[in-house]
Amino acid sequence: MAAWLLRRLVAALAIVFAVVTLVFFAIHLAPGTPFLPTGDRPLDPSVEAGLKARFGLDRPLGAQYVSYLDALAHGDLGESFSQQRPVSMALKEAVPNTVVLAATALALELLLGLAIGAVQAAYAGRRLDTLLTHTTLFFYSLPTFWLGLVLLLVFGQELHWFPIGGVIDPVLHQALSPAGRLLDRLRHLALPALTLGLVGAAGTARFQRAALLEALSQGFVKTARAKGLTETRVLVAHALRNALLPAITLMGLALPFLLTGSVVVETVFAWPGMGKLAADAVLSRDYPVMTATTLAAATLVVAGSLLADVLYAVADPRVGRERPR
Amino acid sequence: MRRLAPLALIVAVACTSRGGGSCHGEHCGTVVFAAIGQPATLLPPVTDHFLDRDIFDQIFLKLADVGPGLNTVGDSGFEPQLADRWTWRDSLTLAFHLDPRARWQDGRPVTAGDVAFTFAAYSDSVLDAPEHINLAHIASVAAPDSATAVFRFRQRYPEMFFDAVYYLRILPAHLLRSLPLRQWRSAAFGRSPIGDGPYRFVRWDPGQSLELEADSTFFLGRPHVRRLIWRFASDLSVAVTQVIAGEADAIEVLVSPANVARARQATQLALYPYPGSAYLFVLLNLRARDGSGPNPILGDVAVRRALVAATDRVRMAQSVFGAAAKVPPVPIPEFWAGLWFPDLPVPPYDTALADRLLEQRGWRLGSDGVRHRGGRKLAIALAVPSTSPARRQYAQLIQEELRAVGVEVKLDLMDNVTLEDRVRRGAYDAAIQAWANGPRPSFDLTPMWVAGGGQNYAHYTNPAFDRWIEAATTARAPAAALRAWRAALGVLAADAPAIALAAPDNVAAIDRRITNVRLRPDSYWAYVRDWRIAPDRLIARDRLVR
Repeated sequence: MAAWLLRRLVAALAIVFAVVTLVFFAIHLAPGTPFLPTGDRPLDPSVEAGLKARFGLDRPLGAQYVSYLDALAHGDLGESFSQQRPVSMALKEAVPNTVVLAATALALELLLGLAIGAVQAAYAGRRLDTLLTHTTLFFYSLPTFWLGLVLLLVFGQELHWFPIGGVIDPVLHQALSPAGRLLDRLRHLALPALTLGLVGAAGTARFQRAALLEALSQGFVKTARAKGLTETRVLVAHALRNALLPAITLMGLALPFLLTGSVVVETVFAWPGMGKLAADAVLSRDYPVMTATTLAAATLVVAGSLLADVLYAVADPRVGRERPR
Repeated sequence: MRRLAPLALIVAVACTSRGGGSCHGEHCGTVVFAAIGQPATLLPPVTDHFLDRDIFDQIFLKLADVGPGLNTVGDSGFEPQLADRWTWRDSLTLAFHLDPRARWQDGRPVTAGDVAFTFAAYSDSVLDAPEHINLAHIASVAAPDSATAVFRFRQRYPEMFFDAVYYLRILPAHLLRSLPLRQWRSAAFGRSPIGDGPYRFVRWDPGQSLELEADSTFFLGRPHVRRLIWRFASDLSVAVTQVIAGEADAIEVLVSPANVARARQATQLALYPYPGSAYLFVLLNLRARDGSGPNPILGDVAVRRALVAATDRVRMAQSVFGAAAKVPPVPIPEFWAGLWFPDLPVPPYDTALADRLLEQRGWRLGSDGVRHRGGRKLAIALAVPSTSPARRQYAQLIQEELRAVGVEVKLDLMDNVTLEDRVRRGAYDAAIQAWANGPRPSFDLTPMWVAGGGQNYAHYTNPAFDRWIEAATTARAPAAALRAWRAALGVLAADAPAIALAAPDNVAAIDRRITNVRLRPDSYWAYVRDWRIAPDRLIARDRLVR
């Protein structure tokens, strides 16, 4: 097991390194410059040249890459061109926001997806199953940004149930007690998490329905029924437990979706996380932030995948024994 | 109903607030601005972003500022800020006398030493301040005593006073002198500044919001609005929605007619149209893409004039902006109203004229509906930023109108950074550009159109134009300057290195409870310290004291 884990760790590091290298060269070779005029006055060419020299962009690309790797090895992610501060600071503020959003959305996705899948399997072929199939298909086919905008307009602008964007209310938050602050954060989290979670939940439900139906046709379920267990107990204690393995795999697969989805959702909901940071960096050609957000995202995805594999091995000892070999 | 917007949170405040008081009277009020993007830093010399300026202009004062008339010639109409008066000692020497009441927010007096220090910082090549090029005509700033700052100019010109005051936000030497200039871009001071303006810095949650509070001891008068908060969004529609939903009080520009219509439906909002600083135009590349010589199509002035004549610019502006835009004679913003000469030789919309001009130059209509000459098709690629709905719409209209006179337009959609990169490298035929200018025409027009100008991406050269620009920028009498401007813009209109499309009005949306609102095209929130919320119109967030 330890050797397997070590091999997986080395492979994970290699993947992250490859992604970062690819992104470094891709963004530096892409057209555009990070130092476009942003005010109402044109940027003097001498100022632009000075900025390029200051950030080392006037050097050959290979030399820039070597410097980047050297700095990275020392934990230095560089200085943001657009934010004029160390990238690590920007990332430090953004990552927790994305983790909170993604974790909430993932929890929502799994809970809602598993529950709907279970209900559908229990009522397979009946009207409720058909209704839920169509509903989940509807949500699964929705573009995330569209769903976000609709939720924002309906529940934010029209009904005023939830705030429009941000992590906290900038006016009232400081005046609230700890409980009030928590409530404030939850209100701001609701719509973005729902946007990300709903689309994922629809996919999970469809997977879970199929997995449960397969489990319900297995011999051990027939045995359980033959023992006289109630249908609910058969479903929950026997079939669902066995049908959870695909959900663990799904959880691993959900991370990349959540991170890419967060780029859109964080932009729509003005959520200051990694996705918004990356989107802003792409638009302003902020190379250090782009490479840093890619590094962080690749690390999170690879770590999530690794975690899913480990959980899978733990949940199913047979798999755990097979994997190391 | 809209005042009940964050209902649940208000309940939460009532139930769980930590016992903060309630503000009553004249000097309460919180104004929340919905902003797109976020500031990079609040240290003035290292940034000229719109948003950064909007915020740090509440924290740092200038010696004087342009008035509502935006006059840039002489010192007429300028409003005192740190300097309560100024005197010309000779034609090249200007002395500012500082208001003795002026104080930094840490209690230290503002001195002439601060002014000299600020000029030195802005001018230092190590800092590479974006504004340093504007200070090139100022030879030195001295502080003979603590209350007098003396500017010495290299030459005499009409906008000397403007240059001396407009760009410099005076900085506290006692707090910044020990900080090496190389470290200013990422300095902690830029994230927690101490200034001398009407508002002091309170808090900045990166990516979320930034808060300032009124300095009740401000020497030019205590601001009425107690708190200013900027909420940051990446997206215009989110920012507009925040204002419509009552979660923010003000947005400076609604941009599109659709947003204006949405805001008009919100009864709590008042709309404030004011002249815009932005304008749209099609920039034509007069040089071949490979730089080998004149552009084989657009290098010909008759072809360029034909393109202008073939585009119904008034109809296009109405299609894209409704009634909220005007068509300038040449690419200039609406707030340079003094330069909108009605009699410039701009080709009128006349497709017959366009046909005639093209025929005269040998471009014959082929069976494919496109003109040809010597085996070359009359086809141009139009670079369009995919992120701008208005410019995408314009591109389609231009394509349709030019097709009618036998010009094939291929639309190249790309992100704005890529587009700007291509334009700067000269790797384009035509590009739809949107620029915004400051109040000083000479500063913006010179680099764009004068031969060898740093931003002359059209590669336009006409010695007559250059001479008139020189005359306009050095004329001592305003009337002479105006005559020279008319002549210069006349040359530009006749040569048509660009097709001027529109100069949109700005429309701000601001909550009706806020009164005494004035907006300035070059600095949207310049008069915020005069805004007022009457005591009987305060809402919950106005009264909240933390």
